[in-house]
Parts: sequence; structure tokens; C-alpha cells
Amino acid sequence: MKALRKNIFREIKNTKSRFISILAIIALSTGFFTGVKASSPSMMETGRQYFEDQNLMDIRLVSTVGFDDNDIRKIKEMDCTVDVMPSYMADLIISQDNIDTTVRVYSLPEKTDTNDRIINEPVVVEGRLPQKSGECVIESYYYNISDYHIGDTIKFNEKVQGKDTADTIKNLEYKITGVVYTPVHITYQRGNTTVGDGSVSFFIMVPSDEFISERYTNVYVTTTAGESGYSDLSDEYKELIEAQTEEYENLSKDRIREFNDTTLKDARQELDDAKKEYADKKAEAEKEISDGIKKLADGEKELNDKLLEAEEKLAQGEKELEESKAKLSDGQKEYADGIEDAKNKLADAQQQYSDGKTAYSKAKLEYDTEIAKAQNQLNAAETEYNTQYSLFYGTTKPQAETRLTLLKTGIDLCNEGIDKAEQEIQKLTDRLESPLQIGESIEVSLDPDEKINEQIDSLNEKLKEYRQKLDEYQKQYDEGIKQLAEGEKKLNKAKDQLDDAKSQFEEKKLEGAQKLNEAQIQLDEAQSKLDIGKLEYETAMNTGLLELQAAQTMISEGEKELENGRSELEKQKAAGLQALKEGREKLATGKAEARTKLNEAETKLKDAEKTIDKLQDAKWYVYDRDSNPGYSNLEEDALRVDNVATVFPIFFLLVAALVCLTTMTRMVEERRTEIGTLKALGYSNLSIAAKYFIYAALAAVAGSVIGAAIGIATLPFIIIDTYSMMYTLPTTKLVIPWDSFAFSAGTGILCTCLVATIACFGELKIRPATLMRPKAPKPGKRILLEHITPLWKHMNFTSKVTARNLFRYKARFLMTVIGVAGCTALIIGGLGLKDSITVIADRQYKEISIYDEIYALSEAGTADEKAYLMSQFHADKRFSETLLVSQNWTTFSYNNNRNKLNLRAIIGENNEQFEKIFILRDRQTHEKIELDNNGIVINERLAEVIGAKLGDTVSFTLNDDPYTAKVTGITENYAGNFMYMTPEFYQRLTGKETEYNIVYTQVAPEAKSNEREIANEWMQNEDIVTVSMLNEQLDSILDMLDSLNVIVFVLVICAGLLAVVVLYNLTNINIAERVREIATIKVLGFYNSETANYIYRENIILTIVGAGVGLPLGKLLATFIVMAIQMDMVMYPQQVNFISYFIGFALTLIFSMLVNFIMYFKMKKISMVESLKSIE
Amino acid sequence: MMKKFVEFDNVYKRYKMGEVTINAANGVSFSIDEGEFAVVVGLSGAGKTTVLNILGGIDSCDEGRIMVGGKDISHLGGKELASYRRYDIGFVFQFYNLIPNLTAKENVELATQICRNSMDADTALDSVGLSERKNNFPSQLSGGEQQRVSIARALAKKPKLLLCDEPTGALDYNTGKNILKLLQTKCREDGMTVVLITHNSAITPMANRVINMRSGKVISNVINPNPVPIEQIEW
Repeated sequence: MKALRKNIFREIKNTKSRFISILAIIALSTGFFTGVKASSPSMMETGRQYFEDQNLMDIRLVSTVGFDDNDIRKIKEMDCTVDVMPSYMADLIISQDNIDTTVRVYSLPEKTDTNDRIINEPVVVEGRLPQKSGECVIESYYYNISDYHIGDTIKFNEKVQGKDTADTIKNLEYKITGVVYTPVHITYQRGNTTVGDGSVSFFIMVPSDEFISERYTNVYVTTTAGESGYSDLSDEYKELIEAQTEEYENLSKDRIREFNDTTLKDARQELDDAKKEYADKKAEAEKEISDGIKKLADGEKELNDKLLEAEEKLAQGEKELEESKAKLSDGQKEYADGIEDAKNKLADAQQQYSDGKTAYSKAKLEYDTEIAKAQNQLNAAETEYNTQYSLFYGTTKPQAETRLTLLKTGIDLCNEGIDKAEQEIQKLTDRLESPLQIGESIEVSLDPDEKINEQIDSLNEKLKEYRQKLDEYQKQYDEGIKQLAEGEKKLNKAKDQLDDAKSQFEEKKLEGAQKLNEAQIQLDEAQSKLDIGKLEYETAMNTGLLELQAAQTMISEGEKELENGRSELEKQKAAGLQALKEGREKLATGKAEARTKLNEAETKLKDAEKTIDKLQDAKWYVYDRDSNPGYSNLEEDALRVDNVATVFPIFFLLVAALVCLTTMTRMVEERRTEIGTLKALGYSNLSIAAKYFIYAALAAVAGSVIGAAIGIATLPFIIIDTYSMMYTLPTTKLVIPWDSFAFSAGTGILCTCLVATIACFGELKIRPATLMRPKAPKPGKRILLEHITPLWKHMNFTSKVTARNLFRYKARFLMTVIGVAGCTALIIGGLGLKDSITVIADRQYKEISIYDEIYALSEAGTADEKAYLMSQFHADKRFSETLLVSQNWTTFSYNNNRNKLNLRAIIGENNEQFEKIFILRDRQTHEKIELDNNGIVINERLAEVIGAKLGDTVSFTLNDDPYTAKVTGITENYAGNFMYMTPEFYQRLTGKETEYNIVYTQVAPEAKSNEREIANEWMQNEDIVTVSMLNEQLDSILDMLDSLNVIVFVLVICAGLLAVVVLYNLTNINIAERVREIATIKVLGFYNSETANYIYRENIILTIVGAGVGLPLGKLLATFIVMAIQMDMVMYPQQVNFISYFIGFALTLIFSMLVNFIMYFKMKKISMVESLKSIE
Repeated sequence: MMKKFVEFDNVYKRYKMGEVTINAANGVSFSIDEGEFAVVVGLSGAGKTTVLNILGGIDSCDEGRIMVGGKDISHLGGKELASYRRYDIGFVFQFYNLIPNLTAKENVELATQICRNSMDADTALDSVGLSERKNNFPSQLSGGEQQRVSIARALAKKPKLLLCDEPTGALDYNTGKNILKLLQTKCREDGMTVVLITHNSAITPMANRVINMRSGKVISNVINPNPVPIEQIEW
């Protein structure tokens, strides 16, 4: 057996990674399961221990009228009472930056005189408890989120709803000396109040002697139920407490009776006095006011009469003016007509004149032309004559005279010649008869006789010639003379003619000129006539104009006068109105004064009445621990964590078991030969199987222990830490959930061991001889895909191999897909949870409750005052919607009255506006839900929690009175619970008028940026007590929801780890099974990357398929988780965003890559020598 | 004179087993000519598998030099060795090492798809006489047939060197003979250099060269001028 034991440890050593992976997966699932499972009991135990340590009261008594020492004594005397601690409580207001904060002031718990124990002992976190007057301690939850520090001072308003703070508590200012938390308040909820907007922001504690009241407000009691030893969350305790509650209620009836007989009587008397005083004052004031009103009315009438008269006068003047204006316009018309007429006439004359002028011009032109023509002719004739004349006298006559002279000369010459010739002849004849004289000797010598004869003959000839010539000349001469005379005569004749023509022309010219002159004269006459006409016209026009102007001036003056009259009237009117206004103001002031006085009296009266009212309906309330805000929630929250703890890890375990199964089966298969050998050697089946059993058991046990240790050490703290956002609890007290540990470890161990054993015995059945031979490798087989030939043909070689391998190892295929799908689903589940959480705020405040600011009204306001305030709200254009609402806390009991749910009952004054702010609709169909007068509409989560359906009649407490009503609608809502009804239904239900106390507003988009300013401005209004802005609320809501993100984070991390382990394991098996194959292909010369590709192709496909399957699974898981963690106050929309699916898918792939990357090195290390070894 | 195709020069391979160092190859030196059918013979542990592993690029030597086809492979890196195996070496395993999930043809294709100059898978299978069983899975084939597929797979790569590790070790006598015949034919007809390791010295007469090993050393390297056809050998 020693060898066997050695064998086991060697096996572990040699297959470290397998051992570790089984261990890891068991550790992971066990750790997660036990870790989350530990959270819930740890949370509860922490609470239980805390309540025990701080001695939390079992019963809290509250009275509407307080308790006196007699009451306390009676309570003490009761059998079930163990200890009693009377205490004080008051709700006061702090104003800071115009924001009112309601603070609950508790008296510091003190040691009881009977048992010397402090009930509800606060835990001091920082600083110290108050030691003197003016000191306080502040609660830790608020301290952490506020700006307060130890040493700071809290300063209260002097008045709270008209009541002096000084009447309640000794100091107005308290210095913070320490920070505490108390078992009474374990959540951030601080309860409701009648002060301010109805909710308490935080509390402080001051020593009880700081309170002035004589009567205690709260009495804390520990009872025998608490001492009974039962756990305070147990049913036994609850039963006991229920019974005891009844006993205290019985006591309260006695005490109230006594109170009514004593204290109430005095108060009634006081009220009667006050009422009388008020009535007197009111009558007085009313009389004064009515007098004032009468006077004012008289004055107003007088003013009106006067004004009327003046107006009449003015109207008359206006009428007259109108008439003159009409006349003027007539005159203007006449004038215009006359002018027009004259103008026409003038134009005619002008036309005539211009016609005449034209004619004259034409005639003149004609005359001038003719004259010019005649002149020309005349001139031509004269010129001709002159030419002739000058020719005759200048040329012809002289020429002729010259010729005549010449001719005369010729004649003379001829006569002379004749004379000479006759003398010569004489001489010659003489000579002839006489000798020749000496001188003549030569000639005569020649031919003296004959020549002389000849000469005589020639001379005779000559003479004859001369004579002839002479005759001729004489003739010519005579003729010349005659011609000349003739020419002269002609000329003279022409001259005469010319002179005739001239004189004729002159005559004609004269005649024409005369005619023209006459025409000119006529024309001139016409001109002068025209001028006269024009002048006349102009004069007439000017005169008309002047007249018109005069009329106009008159009218203007009239108008001016009228204007003056009017302004005078206005002035007088204004003066009158001013006087009237002053009168009114005086009246108003007087009224206001009277009102103030009256109001004071009324307030007093009201106070007195209220006191009486309170006293009248005096009541004790008996509360058990469940009434502490958040007390019952702690249990619920713990259960919710438990739900998540159950869903997830079971899933986890399942995957882990599957992985172990594959791993162990593989291991046994690998050791087949060894099993055969051992069997052949004669070892018993049991001792052979023991090895595998022990191997599996060791891994599983170690894994469970390690996992549980880590899980329990981390997860409860992480989860409870997220809840510490909501709960103020001391340090977590860890409870180890042995049962859960046993369950998960058991499952893990059982699974692995069982699988190992079964697999081993499966092998052992085979005969050793067969066993020692290597198991025939799983034969290759055609897969279905190959029969789809067209597809198969188109696949490449590696794809074919991959496809065949995928289908060859069906178990591994299934395992991987399931494992991977599980991881993807877990991641998506986690993210889906986050999606659902984050979408709440958007859905709630953008789609369902659409408001920006809420104003709480002072309670004292009357209906009229509220109506007036609303009109102011409506008038403020920065608000797009305003709605007056009655908002009251109502309580639903469920679970056989064990649990109580506080929620707001909302009654909108105006349905139209109500529908704009509160969207009532069906979640799935988004169909509008009508609010009618037959019942109430509640939200979906509330209906679910109290188990109400549409049409059911539900019962609830409203303003401390029980009612029942029919559910007429169930509306979509996510954050908080609401009940809606109409004012009419409220009246029918309660018989009371609706008392409105809140204004919901939507800020117009353009004013969104100064929401704060608007709020501050409105806070100045006396009728407004508090304002809360959605934006600021939203932040804290989101913070709260964010706390769940931690759980999401834990989930995703664990899912990731699971993914890695599963994939690692499966890939490891895959590789181990195929070492020989891998070595062979390496020998064939595949590179490392090719080898990896050969193997990983399958892995990648399996991962993708698995992740794909995980998507719908994730949605399912998310839905399941969201359902599991529903709170009473919050409904999670079921939503998984696309991005979450994507992240889930992508993360899985990334984890797969990571595993592949790790495995790559392992594969690289596979020695090729393996391929040469024989098959084992 | 034939060219020396494979040359081992003083090759050492040491395995450390805890504190003991085993010299699997203790100064091995020999050479094989191209086209020779060489048989490395020796008893178990003589170092013949080590020699084959180093020669096949499956293992590396610690010392010495190995020349294959004029290339020094003793100092190649992982990737270069893979290339060497891919393109230069054909390996025939004792246990065939067929991929069970692939048909005969696909097993051959597994080798051919990574080679540049490979033979057609069908041709390779035809050449080993397995034309009829191409589409059968290994589990549907007899041992001899499987070894033929293995040889076809090695041949299909058209390697320079065919290494056979006890190819008949897992086969019966006749089938073994057939396989040896196939190898001898391939060597003779295709001129392929074949190195075969065996512990069975009876088959040495069929070889051109017989290398005898003992204790990690070559004790004889004898050339057989007249190899005998396998049919004539009996053992």
C-alpha cells in the first residue's frame, strides 16, 4: 500500500496543473457560495448583537399629549415591563442658505432608575457625549455626508411653525461634541414629522434637562419578551411582543380617560376665553374696515361724477370743432373748384393769344419773305441797271467817243491828206510847168517829167483814197454818234423802269408793314388782356387761400383748446385717482393691521384649538421594534443578499461539477494501462479506485477549504460594506454558514469523487489484458456535415479537420459550451443587474414623476391663502407646471400585519396639472391610467408587496385613521411607493376636506439653469416652509443605488475567474488528449503558430458558440436576480442593455484568448519525442 | 565516388536524469551517401533513436556537427528546424502516428498542405498501393496499411531524406517485410536516401550501408556492395 500512496502523491506532483485546476474550480464555487451565503447571517447577527449590546427597547410609547410621571409610574408597574426610560423628542428647524432642514432632537438616553441600564444606548464614534448645557452629539450617518465637524455649532430657528423654539428647548445653539449612532435608527431613514416638508434630515441628542416640556414625549420600555432569550427576529419573540403591545394599549386607554378628566377641562376653558376675545376683536376690526370701505366708495363716486361732467364739456367742444372742420373742408373744396375754373379760362385765353401770335408770326414771316424777295428782285434790277450804266458810261461811251475822236482825227488827217495831196498836185503841176527847184533835183533828176506825172497820179490816187476813207470815217463817226445817243436813250429808259419798280416796291413794303403793325397791335392788345386775366386769377387765388388759412388757424386754435381741456381733465382725473388710491392704501394698511391683529388672535385661537384637538383625541401609540425605520428592512435586505447568493453559486457549482467530471474522466482514461497493470498484479478494485478517489477528494477538500476561507474572509465584508451605505451598524460580526459550506463543499467533493470512482470502476470492469493494451483511440467518423457535400467541398482542409474534431468529442463540445455559456451568462447577469439599477432614476424622474422642485407650505395657511399662493405660482413664468398637492403618509400593513409599509398618499388639486407631473400608466402597454372618483391608484411594487390586484379592496391607515378603498389602477413606478386619489374621493372616503400642503413644480427649460435661485427666491415667501430640488435628491438616490455595483463587480470578477478556470481546464484536457497528435504534426514540420492554430480553432469556435448560448441565458439570469433582490421600496425595471451583452460576449472571448495564450507556451513545450513513444 | 549526403562528426547528446548524466550519443561519427539505403542497427539504448531524432530535427545535439545535403543542421533554431523538417525530412514512425480523426487521404494532405513542392495525395497513396482505401479512417485500416499511409505521408512531401524509426516494429512478419520492400523499392527507384533504424540485425543485408551502434558510439560503418532483395531475407 505504501507504493500506492507514493503513486498518489507522485500523480499529484506530475499532474500539478490538473490537480490545481480541480482545486481552483472547487475553491471558486465553494468560496463564492459560502462567501455570499455568509453575508446574510453575518448581517443579521451583526444587527442582533448590536441590539442586544445597546439594549434596544422592545416597546416605544408615544403619546399625542405626552406622558406625565403618573403615566410613567403606571407603565413601570406593569408585569411585562422590565425597564422604562422616559425621554423627550422635538423636531426643530435649521435655516442655512435659505434652506430649511428639519432636525430631530432627542434627549440623550439615560440610566434608568430601576435597573441602572441605558436603553437604546448610543455608540460614540468620535468625540464625547455632551457634558453641559449647550452641547450635543450628532448622528454619524449625516455627519459623514454633511459639512459638520466636531466643535461646530448647530443653530435652530427661533420659531418652528409659529411656536417659539425657546418654549421647547433651553438653547438655540448647540455645540457638537461628538458623533454617535443609535440602534433606534439603523438606516438612513429618519422618519416623518409634521414640521417642514415632512421628513427629518438628521437627529442630534442633547441631555434630557435641556428640554423645557413637563411631559415626556417618548417612553422606551424593555419588556420580558426581550429578556426571554428568544432572538428578536424569531417568531416567538414577535408573538410575545404582539401580546405585550396589546397590554400597553389597554393601559393607554385608562390613562387617556384620566387625562381627559383633568388636563383637557382646563384647556377647554382657555379656548373659550380665547374664542371670545377673538370674536370681539374681529367685530371691531370688521366695523372699522367697513367704514373705511364706505368712505372710499363715496370719494370714488364723487370723483367719477366730476370726471363725467368734464368729459361731456370736452365732447361738446369737440363736436363744434368737428363742425368748423367740416365747413373748412367745404370752403377748401369751393376754393379749389373756383381756382380750377379760372385756370381753365385763363388757359383758353392763353390758347387764343398764342394762336394769334402764331398767325402773326406766320404773316410776318410771309411778309418778310416776300419783301426780301421783292427787294432781291429790285436789287438785281438795280445792279443790272448800274452795270449797264457803268458799262455804257464807263466803257461803251468812252470807247465810242475815243473811236469818234479817232475817226475825227482820221477825218482830219484825211482832210489834211487831201489838202496836202492837192497842194502837191498843185506844186507838181506847177513844177511840171516850172523847172525843178534845186532840192528836188535828185528825184526829179530820175524821172523828172514822167515821175512827176506818176507822182501826180499816185497823189491823185491817194487823194481819192483819202476821200473814200474820209467818207467812210465820216459815216462811221456819224453812226457812232447815233449809236451813242441811242445807248443813252436806252439807259435812260431802264432807269426810268427801275425807278418805277423801286417806287412800286416801296409802296408795297409800306403797305405790308402797315398790315403787320396792325396785327401786332391786335396781338399786343390780346397780350395785355391775358395779363389782366392772369392778374385777376392770381389775386382771386391768393384771397381764397388767405381765407382758408384763416379758417385753418381758427380750427387749430380750437383743437388746442380742446387738448388743453383734455389734459386738464386727465390731470384732475389722476389727482382724483391718486387721492382714491391713497384712500385705498390707507384702507388696505388698516385692513392688514386689523388682519394681523386678527390673525394673531386667530393663531392663538388655533393654537388653543389645536391643543384642545390634540388633547381631545389624545392617544398613545404603542410601537414595537419593527416600527423603527429600517429595522425590518435589515432582515429583508439580508434575505435579498441570500437570494442572490443562492442563484449565482448554484450556477457556479453546476459548471464546476461539469468541469470536474470531464477532468476526472480524462484522468482515469489516461491511466488505463496503469489500472490494467495494477489489476494484473492482483490489486483489488477498491485499492486501485482509491487512488483516483483520494486524488479527487484531496483536490476537492483542499479546494473547498481554501475557497471557503477566502470567500468567507472577503465577500461578506464587501457585500455588507455596500449595505453600510444604507445601514449604520457596528463592525460586521462574521457568522460562518456551516450549512452552506457543508452543502457547497459536499457537492464539490461528492461530484469529483463520485465521478472519479465511477470512471475508475468503468475501466475496472474491463479485463486487465484489454486494459493493458492501449485503448483504441476514438475512431474517426464521418460527421453529418460531410454529407452536405456542397458545403463540405468548399471548406478548406483545416476547417474540415476542425469540424470533425468538434463533433468527434461531443462531451467536450457540450462541456465547453455549457461552461463558457455559464460564464457569459454570469457576466451578463451581473451587468444586467447594474443596467436595471441605473435605469431606475431615468425612468422614474424623466418618465413617471416629472417635477423639479417641491415646495412645502406652512400648515397654518387657509384655503384662500393657498389659492392666492397658487395664483402667484401660476404667474411665475419660470415654472412650466405647478400643482397643489396634498401629500400625507399612509401606512399599509401586510404579511398578517407583521410588516408595515410607509408611503405617500398623493392628492392633486387639479387633475389636468396632476396628469402632467404624475404619469400614471401601465408598465407594459404604457396605457394611461385614469384616476377616477371610485377608488385609489397604487404603484406596481406596492401592489406586489401587499398582494393587491386590480379591483381589490385594500385597507390602510391615513392620518392615523384606518380606511379601505378599491384599487382602480396599478401604475408603473420604480422608486418609492405611492397611492393616488382625487380630492373628491378623499372627501368621500374620509368625510374631510383635502388639506393641501405641497406644491410640485416643473421648471421651464429656459429657467433650468437657475433652479437654485428660483428656490431661494420662493423661500422668501412666508407661506413656504421648505423646498426640495429633485436634482439634489437624485444624487443621493444614485449614490445609494451605486452601492449595488459592488455586488455586480464581485459577480463579474468571479464569472471571469470561472471562465478562465473552465477554459483552462478544458483546453488542458484537449491538449493532453492530443499530445501525440500535436507532436506528430510538429514532426511533420508544422510551425508553432500553425500547431496552435490547429488546436485553437476548435477552442475559439467552442467559445463563440458558448458565449452565444450565454446571451439568452444571461438575460434569464438577470431577470431572475432582479426579481430576487426587489426591495419593498424599489422596483427594478428588467433591462439588459445591448452593451452588457456585448461586454459579456467580449469578456468571455478575452478570457478565452488569455487561456489560449497561456496554453500556447504549454503546447510549445510538448516534445516531439512523444510521437515516437508507444501508445500507452 | 558518391557524394556524402549525411555526415555526423563527433556528435554528443547528454540527458541529465537527476544527478546522473547519460551520454545517449557519445561522439557519434558516420556518413551516408546520397541514394543509399542505410540501416542503423543496435540494441535498445545503443543511441540509434537519439541519432535518428537529431538527424530528423526532432532533437538537438549538445556537441559536434551534423551536415545534411551540405547544410549544417546542428545549430539551427526552433523555427529553422521546423522548416528543415518540413521541406527536407520524411518521417516514418514505429506506431504510424496517423491522426485518427482524418482519413488516409487527409492524413497525407496534412503533410502536403504545408509543403511547397509536394506530391499529390492520391499519387502518394497510389504509389504505396493504397488506392482503394483512401477514404478510410485509420481505425478501419490494418497495421500494414496504416504504415503505408504513414510512408505515403512521408513520401508525399518529396523529402531529401526518409527517416524510418523501427517501421516494422509494430507489424507482423509478412507485413513488416512488405513495408521494408516498399521502402527498398522507393530507395532504388526514386533514388531517395533512406535511413532506417532497427534492433533487428537480420535485415541488414538489404541495406547499402550498415551502421552498427553500441553505447552511444558507432562501432562499425560497413558498405554492403551487394544488397539482397528483402524477399531473400528470412529471420
